[in-house]
Amino acid sequence: MSKQFKNPTEDPLWLKLLLGAVALGFIAILLLLPLALVFKEAFADGVTTFINAIKEPDTLSAVKLSLIAAAIAVPLNTVFGIAAAWCIAKYDFRGKTILVTLIDLPFSVSPVVAGLIYVLVFGAQGWFGPWLVEHNIHILFALPGIVLATIFVTFPFVARVLIPLMVDLGRDEEEAAATLGATGLQTFLRVTLPNIKWGLMYGILLCNARALGEFGAVSVVSGHIRGVTNTMPLHVQLLYDNYDYAGAFAVAALLAMLALLTLALKSLLEWRYADELAASHRH
Amino acid sequence: MSLVVDSITKKFARFPALNGASFVAPQGAFVSLLGPSGSGKTTLLRILGGLEFADSGSVRFADLNWLDMPARTRNAGFVFQQYALFKHMTVADNIAFGLRVRPRAQRPSKADITKRVTELLALVQLPGLDARYPSQLSGGQRQRVALARALAIDPRMLLLDEPFGALDAKVRKELRADLRRIHDHAGVTTVFVTHDQEEAFAVADLVAVMKDGRIEQFGTPQDVRKNPKTAFVSEFLSA
Amino acid sequence: MSAIGLKFAAPLLKRRHVLPGFRLSLGFTLFYLTSLVLIPLLALLLRPVSLGFDGFWHAIATPRVLASLRLSFGMAAAAAVIDSVFGLVIAWVLVRYRFPGKGLLDAVIDLPFALPTAVAGIALSSLYAPNGWVGKILIEYGIRIAYTPWGVLVAMIFISLPFTVRTVQPVLGELGQDVEEAAATLGATRLQTIAKVVLPMLVPAILTGAAMALARAAGEYGSIIFLAGNIPAVSEIAPLLIITKLEQYDYAGASAIGVVMLAASFVMLLALNGLQAWAAKRR
Repeated sequence: MSKQFKNPTEDPLWLKLLLGAVALGFIAILLLLPLALVFKEAFADGVTTFINAIKEPDTLSAVKLSLIAAAIAVPLNTVFGIAAAWCIAKYDFRGKTILVTLIDLPFSVSPVVAGLIYVLVFGAQGWFGPWLVEHNIHILFALPGIVLATIFVTFPFVARVLIPLMVDLGRDEEEAAATLGATGLQTFLRVTLPNIKWGLMYGILLCNARALGEFGAVSVVSGHIRGVTNTMPLHVQLLYDNYDYAGAFAVAALLAMLALLTLALKSLLEWRYADELAASHRH
Repeated sequence: MSLVVDSITKKFARFPALNGASFVAPQGAFVSLLGPSGSGKTTLLRILGGLEFADSGSVRFADLNWLDMPARTRNAGFVFQQYALFKHMTVADNIAFGLRVRPRAQRPSKADITKRVTELLALVQLPGLDARYPSQLSGGQRQRVALARALAIDPRMLLLDEPFGALDAKVRKELRADLRRIHDHAGVTTVFVTHDQEEAFAVADLVAVMKDGRIEQFGTPQDVRKNPKTAFVSEFLSA
Repeated sequence: MSAIGLKFAAPLLKRRHVLPGFRLSLGFTLFYLTSLVLIPLLALLLRPVSLGFDGFWHAIATPRVLASLRLSFGMAAAAAVIDSVFGLVIAWVLVRYRFPGKGLLDAVIDLPFALPTAVAGIALSSLYAPNGWVGKILIEYGIRIAYTPWGVLVAMIFISLPFTVRTVQPVLGELGQDVEEAAATLGATRLQTIAKVVLPMLVPAILTGAAMALARAAGEYGSIIFLAGNIPAVSEIAPLLIITKLEQYDYAGASAIGVVMLAASFVMLLALNGLQAWAAKRR
């Protein structure tokens, strides 16, 4: 019987314990503690207080506005993501690399700058400002501005999941369908879509989470009119600044639940459809 | 001073990989472990290298209780099927790695390391490539560098795990001849895993034909070829 | 717009294709990208032109603006370094060690992506306030986080952590075991193997993660403003100053800061592309 050694690629126990403790401690203090605090503050005075805070008319209208903005922005970015991934994955054309870089651009722009650019286009001193005033069209400090800002910050989400996925899938199946007489739409619906549906769901999930939670960009264009142009995150700020901590943390808890649901669904998709999503993670 | 492998067993989670494998080879011999996949040849090689651990059995080599030493102190050069070169290091740094990680007292001087690297590059017939990165080399060249890296530590034993498996037929033949020449030059006891009988017979002094974690037959290539001891060996050799 | 797209689409193609939909998908992609992202960004980039170089310089070179830029980028760099270290440790623990609850821990890493920044902001603020769970302990050692520039740093560390973990994690996972085994057979100790073999191979991923963390943190607004004191020239970040200037109808001043931040994003994007090309070459 030979003496047992540790596997040469295994870390010594002291290192495992040290790194494990550092990682766990950092995650606990940095990530879990704030999360715990949100729920503790929201439910400190019981569930009834929480529900009453949510049932405030201004809060409900903020929820409604956030849902409407997401319901417009997410489908538009989804259609864009599919179109962009289709032309990038299925054809070779000049300037493709530049196109991919430009699609990613909104991710590296500060949300506040994202809001600012729409102010410069549609604001009173902006390019179309005077014309809009003349025709009594409201974009800034109204729903269209909020939707535009939301579209900008969530712009690449679906595209960036779908592009690597569809590039990896290649063109063979679509070309086979074409030789069998399928139209373009039939090919897309019957061949492409089934192959990318989980990736598509994944992208939509992330896009939706960001759309509902966006703060900086929307803050610039919304005008903060209570009960009218305040989205959920903006309403959190308003309540918090007015020392209504119970109300602020109630809405915050609602948003945190949404975030946790998103994380759970995301983990489920990653675990269940690991192979289908593998391409998106390699990039 | 010979290599004595005695009744090695090893069980993985479900299936037994080695079922009492034994052989004795003289110091400086070139041994091929030959067998189909799943016969336990790579597991046996990794146990010799200290990368895997036997459940029971023993190995004596150079008057050392071989299995009682960790991989790091065995001084066994190991050549991997997929080269396992350090991609962020130049060819020269790859070859010098084993010398540079030695404790300061045993570490050769910088000049000596450079000299040794140059010698080894000449030995594996890649002179002048010291500044290249692995990604700039062909598969055959990479495996030559891996061989030079394993030889740099003046190994007590040289272990090769299907080293030519990823290469095309022509390069395999060249490398095989070079490996034999290098072995004869260095005189180091060598164990070589392959599933290609032609390769095993062409290069080795002794061949161990393996099946189901056991050594079916052990002998010189001529002996094994002429007198297959079991039905499996004769069937495997005629395949 | 799409009519122009149609005319230009065909000569762009490098070869003829069987699949239909190229003109439609590329046309829509370009139209959507141009109208929602590129033209608004152009509105910002052209501002300094109308401002004149002197006017632009005048708007930037005030102590308050320079201090805000220094704070945003300086703290973002510090946060990127801190997150790179802890991100590496967390990625190491998640990839290399096996322990119960690992899946949950892995999912929690993305919390800063999923949690709206306003929620993170009020939670961190309550946590690090002098009477908060963490602030209470720190104040005994004379450390104040909330309403100081250190608050900016803490919020940035929070929101940027996922970038550093998620860029290192897959690379670490794909690193072949055989390289570490080779180092062991060549006589390296476990620590030598980690320091000389594993870490150098992770360098491109670590740098990429750090660059993404830096970009995100420098542009961050939502989570910071609740935690920092927002005192001009002390704890006022650049995005906040943009909003302040917009509220004072100082479009020129706001745009000037916006242009600097946008230029910084472009530089980061270029650096990231360069990093990726370098990493691909070493693979």
